[in-house]
Amino acid sequence: MKKMMAAVLTLVMLLTVCVPFAAADGVLNVYNWGEYIDKQVITNFEKEFGVRVNYSLFSSNEEMYTKLLSGASYDVLVPSDYMIERLLKENMLQPLDRSTVDNLGNLCEGVQNLSYDPDNTWSVPYLWQTVGIVYDTTKIDPEKIEEAGWDIFLDPEYAGHTYMYDSERDAFMVAFKALGYSCNTEDETEIQAAYEWLIKMDEAVKPSYVTDEVIDSMANGEKWMALVYSGDAAYILSENEDMGYCTPKQGTNIAVDAMVIPANASNPEMANQFIRYITEYDNAVMISEEVGYASANAEALAELSGEGGTYEGNAAYIPRAGYEQDEMFHDNETLKKTLSELWIKVKLHE
Amino acid sequence: MKSFFRMSYPYILWIAVFIVAPMFMILLYALTRTGNSTLTFQFTLDNFARFLREPTFLRVLWTSLRVALLTTVFCILIGYPAALFIAGLPERRQTMMVLLLTLPMWINMLLKTYAWRGILLNFDFASETKVFIGMVYDFLPYMIIQIHTSISKMNPDLKTAAYDLGANKWVTFKRVTLPLSIPGIISGITLVFLPAVSSFVIPKLLGGGDYVLIGNLIEIYFLTAGDWNFGSAISLIMALIIIASMWATKKLDRNAQEE
Repeated sequence: MKKMMAAVLTLVMLLTVCVPFAAADGVLNVYNWGEYIDKQVITNFEKEFGVRVNYSLFSSNEEMYTKLLSGASYDVLVPSDYMIERLLKENMLQPLDRSTVDNLGNLCEGVQNLSYDPDNTWSVPYLWQTVGIVYDTTKIDPEKIEEAGWDIFLDPEYAGHTYMYDSERDAFMVAFKALGYSCNTEDETEIQAAYEWLIKMDEAVKPSYVTDEVIDSMANGEKWMALVYSGDAAYILSENEDMGYCTPKQGTNIAVDAMVIPANASNPEMANQFIRYITEYDNAVMISEEVGYASANAEALAELSGEGGTYEGNAAYIPRAGYEQDEMFHDNETLKKTLSELWIKVKLHE
Repeated sequence: MKSFFRMSYPYILWIAVFIVAPMFMILLYALTRTGNSTLTFQFTLDNFARFLREPTFLRVLWTSLRVALLTTVFCILIGYPAALFIAGLPERRQTMMVLLLTLPMWINMLLKTYAWRGILLNFDFASETKVFIGMVYDFLPYMIIQIHTSISKMNPDLKTAAYDLGANKWVTFKRVTLPLSIPGIISGITLVFLPAVSSFVIPKLLGGGDYVLIGNLIEIYFLTAGDWNFGSAISLIMALIIIASMWATKKLDRNAQEE
């Protein structure tokens, strides 16, 4: 009996060791943001193409970048715009095989001809968003917030009723835009002015600095207003009908997350297939419907926001496109360092 | 003897690769800054000066020490009576109690902290109070077990002798039990204070975004700001504080044993 057990255990151990190697041929390593896909799409892809998708998650572009630098090998990544800019600068990507990925005629307004990759040689937009304010329409007059835009964060009337997103890039973007600067400014006096604006904001509305917990909290109506990404806002609005969404008139940040293939990918052929698969209409609809972020596929966007669509009448679902004061972030590590240190000081300010 | 020494080779290799080498890398990062393309790094002490010159960072350091110290004190205050109580039980029930005590340690700490987050959401406590509650909860078992071990190791005849010599319960505790359990308290302090001062998951989950301890500061510099040099310098300052406090507790321990 004991011998039997030992034999079985050895077999199990051997199998667990061997399986990953045996299947290495048919593995696709995908690295994406957390809660950013409909799992069914992956299962369908696995069935259709007979591969195993090894799907891992990151929570920030920097985390993804650090992992990549440490030598990890992935086949498909979904970083944001400025990070793609950096990966390109450092020759860490390989061009797409456009004979496989041949269905890009359908990109919607807002994600076409992006500065970091104007003709989609290296990347295909996945989902996109703007940054805006979700607010409780029973507490804040929509007209007032449209009029004030970002300056609503300086109104002491909302002290203790506000969430601020805990990210130096987004918080400083708010301050830069409120002051009429570019969110990519390197001008020291402008940075200093934005820092002082945020200190004023901290004193005026005494915000709670949060990250993803803002989604559930606002869906429960725990505070009156919050800085959120439009995709999360779309979810909040669909959960709580008292909530409204405002894309401030002073301009905001547009962010695009796009699929790319790293230079050291071990299965680039399948990676191109995967990217093509994700861009197809049905899958684009499934993904965007599940996560609430706007699809890069124009037809999918129209379907979901149109009559009978999941996000029909949802003010946050379609991000504002073509507005002159809206900007994308550019890769700038020195700026990021400066801002993150200032951001610690804002949060710990007494 | 010599053959036994050989058996420790794998362990020595292990510490060399996974403990000593990374420590040197931290030291190297902390003492350098990124240079230009010819000279990829330059030696400097700027990283340390930057930390010591900025009041915000010093405040973070002070908060971390304060919370860790408070946690340790509370763990002793709650843990000592608990350990005394357990040591007074019949042997079989003692084993049971120790098992119950270690039971929560089988659950992942992240999970427990998330549970606390749900509970504390309903209370309007200050961030520091929440973090403090989470830390005391998480580290208390380490303190109780250490103290319990040192009390139960004690020869019961010593107490009987004290009673025979006319000491009452309180005097016996003060003059016999307490001094003999000090080594337990001290190793308990090491096991609670050190992880508490460097903890970053608990403040992150329970304290909210505007509550930053030194562990979070290090995380921010490595992951968000991408400034590994400064992050390493903070880690090194942290390490120095930890070494100093270990040295202090060791010294306390030796003094206690001499008495």
